[in-house]
Amino acid sequence: MNKEIKKIIILPGINKFGKKENFDKIEIKQGEIVAVVGPTGAGKSQFLYDLERLAQSDTKSKRKILLNDKIPDKEWKINPKKKLIASLAQSMNFLTDLSVEDFLQLHIQARGEKTDLKLIKEVIDEANQITGEPINPAMNLLDLSGGQSRALMISDLANISVSPIILIDEIENAGIKKEKAIKILVEEGKIVLIATHDPSLALNTDKRIIINNGGVVKIIKTTLREKGIAHYLNWIENYTLEVREQIRQGKKLKDIKLFCEKI
Amino acid sequence: MKLIIFAGTPGSGKTSLIKYVIQELRVDFKLFFAKFDCLRTEDEKNIAQKYGIPTIKRLAGELCPDHYTALEIPKIIQQNQDKDIVLIETAGLCLRCSPYVNEGLGINVLDITSGHPNRYGPILTDADIVTISKGDLISQAEREIFRYNILDVNPNCNIVEVNGLTGEGAVDIAEYIKNAIDIGKKKLTLKHSMPSAICGYCYGNRVIDEKAVQQRYLAGKELKNLVPNLNCGQCGFKSCNEFIRAVLDKKVKKEQCPFIK
Repeated sequence: MNKEIKKIIILPGINKFGKKENFDKIEIKQGEIVAVVGPTGAGKSQFLYDLERLAQSDTKSKRKILLNDKIPDKEWKINPKKKLIASLAQSMNFLTDLSVEDFLQLHIQARGEKTDLKLIKEVIDEANQITGEPINPAMNLLDLSGGQSRALMISDLANISVSPIILIDEIENAGIKKEKAIKILVEEGKIVLIATHDPSLALNTDKRIIINNGGVVKIIKTTLREKGIAHYLNWIENYTLEVREQIRQGKKLKDIKLFCEKI
Repeated sequence: MKLIIFAGTPGSGKTSLIKYVIQELRVDFKLFFAKFDCLRTEDEKNIAQKYGIPTIKRLAGELCPDHYTALEIPKIIQQNQDKDIVLIETAGLCLRCSPYVNEGLGINVLDITSGHPNRYGPILTDADIVTISKGDLISQAEREIFRYNILDVNPNCNIVEVNGLTGEGAVDIAEYIKNAIDIGKKKLTLKHSMPSAICGYCYGNRVIDEKAVQQRYLAGKELKNLVPNLNCGQCGFKSCNEFIRAVLDKKVKKEQCPFIK
């Protein structure tokens, strides 16, 4: 990536009733995680869409987006090879009939780069930190379980995709360690926005943007207490995941070790 | 007037996208929508009702739907001189025809689950804008591979990811349409020639046999020399070829054409 996105600034627009939104500016920095919350139909999608379109008061909401403090280069909008936002939707599947290894290679090549065995290994290793059921390079993509697919998609997103902003529409719980997944994305310098109703995801962030009636009504900085709650919720989820794995492997539950990662 | 042609395989999401695009444009522009299909459609009624714009449908029936579209375009333009934008939705059955014109804007709606883009001919390779639909069903990695594969076969196109359910992307398409050039007064030209349709099957032959094809072809050719080839419709058929087929099928007499004495 030749142009890094260090900061996004969102300047206020109007809500459904034409009233100015309730903020002066929203700043999101590289490596930050932001949740976008609000009732269904509140305008979460429009908010994310404004980001993707790099709106300049030219969308319904009249919001303005600045990248690195400036009006963004047209390049981001026009060049079809550059896509600002990569996304992970709720019901995604793999369709390609290839081994994991060959597929990752294809993705790297599609970006105009040479095959990189080290990178492929890294993608699979990181995916395996997210899922409880190990993926090996020779597996066929179509045979991966839901958890494995999701883990591989996230690790690929973190390591191979060019887009500096990752948009997550409600990560599905089944079979993955969500906290770890988000951590991997953020560590690779991405900006992560999550539209979610999931409490542990919404609290496992730096801040959350609350949207209603088409406009931002509030921005809440996640408090230490809330982060603690998120960590606890996450611990419960990981515990469930561990129990699930042990049952699948035919073990008796008394053998389970409880674990809680450090924040 | 601007002429916008939407082409894409059936079920790719053309109509859904067009509805959102119409919604974006209808306040500021006088629109007309023509829906082409093969056998049946009600979309033109739904759109007229929902968005209050004039629409028509054209069913190709026995004709190649894309050839038929090209035949009809001049009439549609003639009848809609007062409009700002004419939107045409093709039947989208053929990857080879897709009658984009140089003077208008050609928009391909491409279903991301429909396989490798290199399978597609001019419907994709000659489009000015390629919209990717149903992207939310597959992984980001595959979406990126898909994009690159599209650029491989059509390096100059603009790519827009659209969602027929939420209307995502429609604003961008509307923007491209607003900026499209006017068709002007000159004759329109196809971006690419259409495939030949010159065998006995084109005249309605059904027996799979070399001889039968040849005979049907020769009989058709003979009639083809007699009809005016103006597709004037005085015989009651949409086009001369459709009329010839009906004559060969013995459904009507050739004298039904006022040009045949």
